[in-house]
Amino acid sequence: MTDLPQGNVPIKSENDIIAARKAVRDLATRLCFGVTDVTRIVTAASELARNVFLYAQAGVMRWSTLDANSSVGIELTFEDHGPGIPDVELAMKPGYGTSHGLGLGLPGAKRLMDEMEIHSEVGKGTSVTVRKWLRR
Amino acid sequence: MANKAKLAVMGTAGETEGLSTQAFLAAIVETSDDAIYGKTLEGVILSWNHGAERMYGYAAAEIVGRPVSILVPPSSTDEVPQILEKLKRGERVDHFETVRVKKNGESFDVSLTVSPIRDVSGRIVGASTVARDITEQKRLREELTRRAKEILDVSTPVLQVWDGVVVAPFIGTLDTQRAQQFMECLLQRIVETNASVALLDVTGVPAIDTRTAQHLIETITSVRLLGAQAVLTGVRPAIAQTLAHLGINLADVVTRSSLSAGLRVALDVLNLKISSRDGEA
Amino acid sequence: MTNQSISVVRVRDTLMVTMPADPDDVTVVALQEEVLRAMERYRPKGLVLDISAVETLDSFFARTVTETSRMVTLMGGRTVIAGMRPSVAITATQLGLTLGGTMTALTVDRALNLLSDTRPRRRLR
Repeated sequence: MTDLPQGNVPIKSENDIIAARKAVRDLATRLCFGVTDVTRIVTAASELARNVFLYAQAGVMRWSTLDANSSVGIELTFEDHGPGIPDVELAMKPGYGTSHGLGLGLPGAKRLMDEMEIHSEVGKGTSVTVRKWLRR
Repeated sequence: MANKAKLAVMGTAGETEGLSTQAFLAAIVETSDDAIYGKTLEGVILSWNHGAERMYGYAAAEIVGRPVSILVPPSSTDEVPQILEKLKRGERVDHFETVRVKKNGESFDVSLTVSPIRDVSGRIVGASTVARDITEQKRLREELTRRAKEILDVSTPVLQVWDGVVVAPFIGTLDTQRAQQFMECLLQRIVETNASVALLDVTGVPAIDTRTAQHLIETITSVRLLGAQAVLTGVRPAIAQTLAHLGINLADVVTRSSLSAGLRVALDVLNLKISSRDGEA
Repeated sequence: MTNQSISVVRVRDTLMVTMPADPDDVTVVALQEEVLRAMERYRPKGLVLDISAVETLDSFFARTVTETSRMVTLMGGRTVIAGMRPSVAITATQLGLTLGGTMTALTVDRALNLLSDTRPRRRLR
């Protein structure tokens, strides 16, 4: 397997949310995701990057390309050493989200992507990974 | 309104409140666009307004005194005695859709409202008919039904049926990928055709599961977010029930049980748009 | 950092605000400030927010737009969001963003029609 492109975008300020968006848009477009899917991926990335900035003030977005089962995909991981999510299950409940302005918008981001994994420990930090596969 | 007018038309001596009222009511009858005529309980025409002259083609002078049956086509002659029977019992016949014949022999669709006329003592002395030509209305209704059928027969995913209306039939159960494609296609079409109304037709959907329901609701929400009106058509009781069980609130979704009914809603919306533009200075 | 400009144009009684393609947070906040300033100055009866160039509508943007729309209402005006892209509409729906019930229109043209239509909006059943 050849080296697949990957990289990371530090998230330390509001400007970095934009930087993350641009990087993701660029990557998703190059992978030939359709217009709407690109919008979905970019928007999910924006939400998750914003979470990092809002709750942890600093973190990183790691991106990589996936290649498996004759399909390509994109994988994004948002990591921080912030306060952590006390109740992941609660945070994943639909409705606990962006409309309140307080939630993490995780259910929404999950809806936009194909897969989502959350690892979080109170006091240690959070890692959210999302993936989307190109439909052939 | 029509009832009062009939009293004036009959002109039964002695019971009027005042000549001016009677004359006023008579004028209303005369100038109405609807055909209004009075007849005896045996069906003899006693009065015939301007609207009736225009609609049927008979001048008042040539038809007063003749039986109302000359207006009825051979296929419907049973109606007259039936209507008169109801009238004798004091019942009204409301918006009865049937066919009548003009002087020139031409048949046309009408909607009749026939009311009994009583004298001061309450005795039924005759009847008054208001006839409305519904040829145009019927034609429109039939065209809507025809179009609806056409739409359901064609397999194109999103069809533009009129200026400003698109119809998207949900076909069978959609998997996630096709559902997404469907949604994108629909929204794209709405933008391309500058549609005001999108009809989402589920006539061809036998059963609806959670995933399909979710796609449906998302599609409706997206359409509305875009700025177009979404109408869910072809909703059968079974589907409505399933959606309710799934906890989906259809309260603020416009639904209709048939596609043609949905098309009517679309026309309604478009008429609204048209008249609002006319209303601008 | 922001070299993204929001264009604010007054067309008679209406304020027309055009958003750039991928507005950053600073630009989004500036939108609200610009609108409020213009509302105070001109007291327009309506605001048309043209988002036809916008490719990403995230929760922050949505919240700000909803807030702005509420403020406009408080100041006696009405807001219409125009030109939302299909991809944005789908994404916003799936993300659960509602824009607070603000009126939307397919085009700026229709938005202007909506604002000048003073008759009560008929609800279809």
